[in-house]
Amino acid sequence: MDVSIIIEALPPLLKATVITILLAVVSIVIALILGFFTALARIGKLKLLKFIGTVYVSMFRGTPLLVQLFVIYYGLPQINIELDPIPSGILALSLNAGAYLSESFRAAILAVDKGQTEAAVSMGMTYGEAMRRIILPQSIRIAIPTLSNTYIILIKDTSLVSVITVTELLQMSTLIIAKTFEPLTIYLVAAVLYWIVITFFTVLLDRFEKRTSRHLIS
Amino acid sequence: MEVIKLQNIKKSFGENEVLSDINLTINKSEVVVIMGPSGSGKSTLLRCVTFLEEPDGGVVKLGEHEVRAGEPLNKQRKKSLRALRQNTGFVFQQFNLFPHKTALENVMEGPIVIKKVRRDIAKRNGVALLEKVGLADRMDHYPVQLSGGQQQRVAIARALSMEPMVMLYDEPTSALDPELVREVLQVMKDLAKEGMTMIVVTHEMTFARDVADRVILMDDGVIVEEGSSDAIFNHPKEERTKRFLRDVGQQKV
Ligand SMILES: Nc1ncnc2c1ncn2[C@@H]1O[C@H](COP(=O)(O)OP(=O)(O)OP(=O)(O)O)[C@@H](O)[C@H]1O
Ligand SMILES: [Mg+2]
Repeated sequence: MDVSIIIEALPPLLKATVITILLAVVSIVIALILGFFTALARIGKLKLLKFIGTVYVSMFRGTPLLVQLFVIYYGLPQINIELDPIPSGILALSLNAGAYLSESFRAAILAVDKGQTEAAVSMGMTYGEAMRRIILPQSIRIAIPTLSNTYIILIKDTSLVSVITVTELLQMSTLIIAKTFEPLTIYLVAAVLYWIVITFFTVLLDRFEKRTSRHLIS
Repeated sequence: MEVIKLQNIKKSFGENEVLSDINLTINKSEVVVIMGPSGSGKSTLLRCVTFLEEPDGGVVKLGEHEVRAGEPLNKQRKKSLRALRQNTGFVFQQFNLFPHKTALENVMEGPIVIKKVRRDIAKRNGVALLEKVGLADRMDHYPVQLSGGQQQRVAIARALSMEPMVMLYDEPTSALDPELVREVLQVMKDLAKEGMTMIVVTHEMTFARDVADRVILMDDGVIVEEGSSDAIFNHPKEERTKRFLRDVGQQKV
């Protein structure tokens, strides 16, 4: 292995890592919002919303992310919806993660003891107040471990976006290899960068989880 | 003066008729103890009073509020349901404290969210209520950091925070270790002395003897017999009452 190659490749790889992180962060934020409201729709009483939510989740969990990406980037232009590579990537990643997150949220809301709603409602809270003040704060704590997990998977999934020409970490590595012919070195450097990013977020989310759940276990 | 009046309350779960035509009137400051074998419908009756369980038929009157079973859930009904629930404090067997809130926050929650009471006022009232149940020194503890008896006393304080007209207790001491039962009963006793109207489902005979103005025996969804604790415990008339007392081992010989 030639160290000078690594030193030369590092600045563009780091820049690409920033793109990877950006893709992951923007997508997870959209996915959280999407997943949250989809979960509410699926738990709620309105049949139409429930149906839409169920179909959405089933479709995006039931098909490969790569296919979703192709449909959005290569497919949609045929009906005159043309998105740039990065927005296409973010759209696919957040729709996909949103479907998984809505399942986590739904399970977490249903996991809160029924007695909690009853206690809130028996005092005179409306269903919405009970949800907001009592149920959701507890379900978010319950959901955090699976949320972290989904986020870690999402970071890894950003590498798929390389196939639609987004120069994130993996795509940048491939470009550099085309010039240097050092696939082992460059791909290993890329792997280490992924590993650092994922470890960083894992530690961060673990801490967050411990902090939010400290009153729930004795 | 009558505070709460149940008229023709009926409730079935599928084929299983759990309450058949319950009528009950409770006067101000009266303490009514409900007893009966497991599955006789005691919890269901309490839950029907606040529509935690919607009765199949009947009327619940509480002060000037009145809610009829089976009416469509429009704005008017939501309002009267809310009024009914605000004015009844419900104490659960499993406490059901909010685990993500401290004792004090549990007691402040209702006034702040429902009554829109200012935070500092809610806090002052909350501290006073915790003092009343003997837990002022625990107000910053979370439920997991409290014993069962302490949790149940916080739950009573939480119910009181809405200044209810009547308190409903569903076996408030059944989930407690024996040595913690007394502290909870003592709080309830003190409340009764202050003139709080209460309906208590319990099998604590001593509590019923000392505190109850009226004891009701339920079986199979009907009120089998009611009367003073002396009348029910010492001179039961109905065969089912006698059998129940024999089963719980409290009959005088
Ligand atoms: N949500 C429900 N769905 C179906 N059946 C129910 C439900 N709640 C209660 N029941 C049934 O109603 C009957 C009365 O139950 P309830 O809990 O009111 O009795 P209880 O007198 O409080 O008994 P216990 O002393 O064991 O608490 C029982 O047969 C019970 O199985
Ligand atoms: Mg019961």
